[in-house]
Amino acid sequence: MADNGRDLAKQRVSRRRFMIMTINGVGAGTALLIAAPIVGSVLSPVFAKRKTPWVLVADISRVAVGAPTAYVVNLPTDEGWPVPPVPRTVYVVKLNLNGKVQMITLSNVCSHMQCDVHWDLNLQQFFCPCHGGLYSIEGVNIGGPPPWPLFRYEHKLVGTTLYVRNVLTGTGA
Amino acid sequence: MSSQPQRSDLVAKLTRPVARPLAATYRWVDERMGISDLTHQLLYEAVPRRGAWAYSLGSATLIIIVLQIVTGMFLLWTYVPSTTEAWESLNYIEHYDEFAAIVRGMHLWGAYVLLVIIGLHMIRTFVSGSYKKPRELNWIVGVILFLLVLGLGITGAMLPWDQAAYWTAQVVTHVVDYVPLLGNWLQDILRGGPQMGPETLTRFFAIHIWLLPALLVPLVGLHLILLRRHGEHGSWVNYEGVESETEEARAERMADAEYPYPAIPSDPGYAVPVDIGDFFPSQVFKDSLVSFALVLLVFIMAVVVGAPLERAANPAALNYVPTPEWFFLPLDQLLIQFPQAWMIPVGVFVLPGIGTTLLILVPFLDRSPEREPWRRPEVMVPALFAVLFLIFEALLAVNRLFNL
Repeated sequence: MADNGRDLAKQRVSRRRFMIMTINGVGAGTALLIAAPIVGSVLSPVFAKRKTPWVLVADISRVAVGAPTAYVVNLPTDEGWPVPPVPRTVYVVKLNLNGKVQMITLSNVCSHMQCDVHWDLNLQQFFCPCHGGLYSIEGVNIGGPPPWPLFRYEHKLVGTTLYVRNVLTGTGA
Repeated sequence: MSSQPQRSDLVAKLTRPVARPLAATYRWVDERMGISDLTHQLLYEAVPRRGAWAYSLGSATLIIIVLQIVTGMFLLWTYVPSTTEAWESLNYIEHYDEFAAIVRGMHLWGAYVLLVIIGLHMIRTFVSGSYKKPRELNWIVGVILFLLVLGLGITGAMLPWDQAAYWTAQVVTHVVDYVPLLGNWLQDILRGGPQMGPETLTRFFAIHIWLLPALLVPLVGLHLILLRRHGEHGSWVNYEGVESETEEARAERMADAEYPYPAIPSDPGYAVPVDIGDFFPSQVFKDSLVSFALVLLVFIMAVVVGAPLERAANPAALNYVPTPEWFFLPLDQLLIQFPQAWMIPVGVFVLPGIGTTLLILVPFLDRSPEREPWRRPEVMVPALFAVLFLIFEALLAVNRLFNL
């Protein structure tokens, strides 16, 4: 009898425990069911596949060596749903490297806090007005807070015609 | 003299057909909902009598938060959260919908006034040592509320998608890129991709109108529940002589304490203010006047100055100088003082993080029963330096940004 009573008491406790554990488990499961797709949707931009098209900039044969030239190009944003392409500035820079002309395509976005930079004719440097960042004509950070060189647009040349894609390269891009 | 009661009799007679069913309806609802009991509970509590004008900053904060929620709701009548239409919809408001433009102006100036009043409310609480036992948690909830309001301020500034909004968003979303290891991911998550685009705006819209308010509103509730649980602390003027009073006098004050006092656990003598007043109508009277003055100020600024709308966002800009909202000027100045890759996270995360942590820990750093500000220089002096530092940084930033 004594044993029976103890078993019964033990069983009552474990029945109560079973229900409490079920409540906790089902509660956690409910939260997980709601949270999983939300976390997935929040993280989705990290894993999104992007197909970034080439966009015509211009015939750049007339760009002079040592004179960065700004071209405004309508580039697809390539994220989210289709929206009209957004104007962006591509700096076309021709450099004379030991007698060989090399061309680079710089973005107008500072590597520090991503304000807009411009080629300053007096300084002969790229200048960011936000925090006073300075870059050489090659886009190398040479003064102020910017940690890295200016980002570059991926580009290709067909003859003298320049195409870019809305993909930025370089450290921190 | 004799005509007075006659006239009120006449009024009573004339209004009876309306007043009677109204009173009956109220009784019916009250029996089922207990409105009278609830109103009584909300309005009739003891508060510290002296220094009451200073205590109206809290209720003023609440009123301005309500103003922000209501004006925000009605901005949604015209605002479209889309990169192609956000600016157009606000430009329409500014040119063709005068009242909506005032609503928009009130939302902006309400935000500015809210930040100032929260600042003053925090300073008042700090100077009077109101965060001391048992009110430590309410200080912490208050700091979190302050951070949420800063978050609402900065996310709200992104929504017009004009030049100011676009470049503010560009900078703010790029700051997270400096988080070690995860930075790039975080920036992609906030922007919806590696660059600013349509998803950036919808994200910050959602954060501004739902995520942050959904955290703010319950925490305001908790702030008020904790306030009522311990009663208002007031300030040192409400506790004059409590340290030298006799045990009997102290015990008597504790025994006679009116709801919601005594605050337990308290430092000896500080559980009940010495001089007690009524919340209703004395405190509510002062609260109403202060709140009215502030809402009037917001209204006047909305009508006279309004909310600016710059040109539509132009990512191709070359000469646009984004200036941060005034409440972020000190942080902006840190960006220039901590240059180059490894220093930037110090200015962006480490220093503001230390500042915020110290602010949260205030009740645990200052644990003496002393309330008088000039008798606790060990917290007052560092706090004064902190405030002066923020003002100094802001002035440096203003000087830099407007002398270009």
